[in-house]
Parts: sequence; C-alpha cells; structure tokens
Amino acid sequence: MKAAFPIDPSDPRPIWRQIEENVRHLVASGALRPSTSLPSVRELARGLAVNPATVAKAYQRLTEAGVLAVRRGDGTYVASAPPALSAAQLHERLHAEALRYASLAATLGATVQQATAALESAWRAFDADRGAAAKTAVPPGDPA
Amino acid sequence: MSPTAAHASLLAAGAVPHFPPAVRSDAAAGALAADLARTDAAAEARAAVPPLAAAAITVRYGRRTAVDAVSLALSEGTVYALLGRNGAGKSSLVRCLLGQQRPAAGRALLFGRDAWRHRASLMAQVGVVPEQPDAPPGATARRLARFCRPLYPHWDDAAFEGRLRRFGVPTDLPFGRLSRGQQGHVALALALAARPRLLILDDPTLGLDAVARRAFFEELIDELADRGTTVLIATHDLAAIERIADRAGILAGGRLVLDEDLEGLKQRCRRIWLADAAAAPATALDGFAPLARVTGDWGVETIVAAYDEERFRAFQDSAAGAGARVGSLDLEEIFIALTGAGADPLESAGAGGPR
Repeated sequence: MKAAFPIDPSDPRPIWRQIEENVRHLVASGALRPSTSLPSVRELARGLAVNPATVAKAYQRLTEAGVLAVRRGDGTYVASAPPALSAAQLHERLHAEALRYASLAATLGATVQQATAALESAWRAFDADRGAAAKTAVPPGDPA
Repeated sequence: MSPTAAHASLLAAGAVPHFPPAVRSDAAAGALAADLARTDAAAEARAAVPPLAAAAITVRYGRRTAVDAVSLALSEGTVYALLGRNGAGKSSLVRCLLGQQRPAAGRALLFGRDAWRHRASLMAQVGVVPEQPDAPPGATARRLARFCRPLYPHWDDAAFEGRLRRFGVPTDLPFGRLSRGQQGHVALALALAARPRLLILDDPTLGLDAVARRAFFEELIDELADRGTTVLIATHDLAAIERIADRAGILAGGRLVLDEDLEGLKQRCRRIWLADAAAAPATALDGFAPLARVTGDWGVETIVAAYDEERFRAFQDSAAGAGARVGSLDLEEIFIALTGAGADPLESAGAGGPR
C-alpha cells in the first residue's frame, strides 16, 4: 500500500490533501477500479505512519465528492461510477484547480509556456498509466 | 450505547456521583431519566474542559527559571508534540502536568482539576510513559501488570498481553533484563492497558532503535484509531511526530515560543531562494519575517516565518531579475530555524557574546 500512497512530510500541502489527491489520481488513472476496496483508516494510517484522523478526513472528503463510497460495516470502496458533472460544473472545477496550478507555477518562477508544457507532459504520462492499467487486470483489493 | 452503559462510562470518568444500581431499577425510572438528563449536561460540560491545560506554569530551581509562565491547552483528541532542545524545560513542565512537581507559580489542570492537589485520583485516567521507564528490575512484565491492575478502573489485561506479543517482548523475563527498546514497549503497554483518556509521553523513543521506534508509533497510531485518546508527547523524534501530531509547542529557555497547528506552521514557514540577491533590495524579504539566511554559490536562501503567496508573487513581479523561488520546510528544519544557535534565548542571553 505504501508505494501507492507516497506521503512527503516536507510537502507544504497538508497530509490529508496529499492522501486525497493520491487516491483521486489512482482512481482517475484506473489503477483503482470501481468496487475496489480501500485499506481501512486504521490500516492505511499504520502503513503511512500518520494520524488516523488525517486518513479519515481524506476518506470523508473523497466520499463526499463521490469518488469513494462506504458500505455499511464493509469498509470503503471506489464508487461504481465517476460523479456526473454538468458542463458548467466541470468548467468551474477545472478553472478552480487551474488557478491553483497557475499560481503555484508563477511562485516557482515558471513561464506560461513551461507551465503548459508540464501540464501536457503530465497528461501524456497519465494517459500512458491509464493504458497500462487497462491492460493489466488488477485484482480487487490490490491496487499495487 | 445503552443508558446504563453511558451512565457507567460517565461514572467512571467521575462526571456523576456513584449510587448502587439497585436504586435505579424499575421503581426509580423517573429518577433515572432525571439522572440521564444530568449526565448529558455533564458530558457537554466535560467536552468543553480541556483534558490538559497549563495556566502560566513557572518552575524555578534556585535562581534559575526552568519554565517561564507557560500556558497551553489541549482539546479532546489532540495529538500535541512538545518540542525543545535539551534543558529547554520540557521535563520540568511534564512533571508539573503529572502532578509530580508543584510549580512556583501557575497551575497544571487535568480535566479541569489541579494536577498537584488531585494527583492520586487524576492519574487513574492518565497513561504515562516516562523518559526512563522505571520498574523493579526483578519484576516480570506480567507481574508489573498485576501490580497496576487494581489502580485503574478500566484495566485491560488482554490488550496488555496483545501489545507485548506484537512487540515481541517476553512477559516472563525480569524488567531489568529487557533491552532499552523492550522496556519502552512495556511502559507503553502498561500505559495503554489502563485505557486512559489522556496519554503523556516524555521522550518515549529515546534510545530505541529504528525498528522499536516504528513499532512504538504503530501502537500509538492504533490507539488513536481505536480510542481517539488525547496525547501530549515530548520528543526529539521530529520526523515521526510530524506525521502524527496536530499541533506543536516549542519550548526554548523555559518559554513557549511557539504553540500552533502543524498545518498552519508549514504554510507560513518556508524557504525563499534568490538566484541573484543583488537584483533585489536588501530589505526585500523583511515582510516575510526572515529567521535565517544562508549564502552560497547558487544564491541566497532565506528561511522565513511569515510566507504569504500573494505577497510573494508581488515581490516576484517587482524584482523579476532576482530569480526568486519558494520551497517548503519539514518540521526539523522549522525547529532548527526557530531554536538554533542564533534563535536560542539561552545563548543570546550571554550579553556581549559573539552572535
């Protein structure tokens, strides 16, 4: 589990956000398929050596966003369908995240060309990931 | 939770006076309802009382002030990292919080009650792992547990044995023959077997190897997952605790120079690099509260205590030639910047000394 959820303590993002974004990425790239079970809060907290409340916060946000679903007494799963967004909602979400990325890129001293190139190369790497994930059948419960 | 169970747990927590169960049976249904209403109010009142608080605690040894008017409060479920260099006053403060030492001024409060005056009754709700686990060297872990059991109302033998099994500590070997790491594990197992509401750990991983340390923190994480215990941990193990703690306090020269949520601390404490410092005015970073500055061939790195993204972007626009970039710090780097030689009030107190 550890390799799938790398946590960097010197990352200025709070740990719960790092977990949240890692899970989002794993789900979006297909590495974590719908209905795959996630480790329990306790298990993941132990694996990452972080406070269980931190993991619980990430899971709760992902559940509220429709990425994960909780089955009573049966733990947390990847939701069966991605949350459906209207075009307006999609634009709003993308714009908000893009604003954050642009602001980060600017503070690092990047040009708009560099930032765009990085985004495109990330998109290609992500597509490749997704292709690879689609080819190798991942048994449920084993996102590695 | 059944009303009776709820009542029992509140009872044990000292929130309501004890009376025999027989009195509450059928005939006294009205009294029970009234009693439950009262326990609800008591539970609410209890939630507002911090499990641990220091109110302007001062400790003096002769003319030396070891702890200087330290105030802090932990809300329920917080994991609080108490940091400080050796001699900063951590152990004196912890002794006051445990009711083992009477402060020269101020008070230590556990669950709202004075730790010095009510030590005996308060300690039944507090798990303690001391800096030097201390037990009769001839006693086995099992005998230590038998000795502790009657002192704690919620003692859990199965949990104690389970932890020692996971730690791989033999229960039938005398304490004096266990390794330093095993002694630390026994101390934690004893502290957690009491199912405490508050856990106070004084440098619990001192002298433990990496494997023993990891096992120690895993048990602590399990405890947090299962029971949400409030924890105060004095430690030098910054890499481990920064992943677990919600909040940190830093003692330097007896004063609490920092008391803050870790999330906010990491947002505001950053490093700013200038590739060409000459292209920016010397005072350019003053608004970010610089703590330390290192000059190298690659430019100038400044550790700042008041980073702000918007202000930084404005600075980048105004001094484009300086090549400013921002990076983050881990807790150890923040700790060093705040308490290192230049920042240590103990060392700067020697007036006239070289800075």
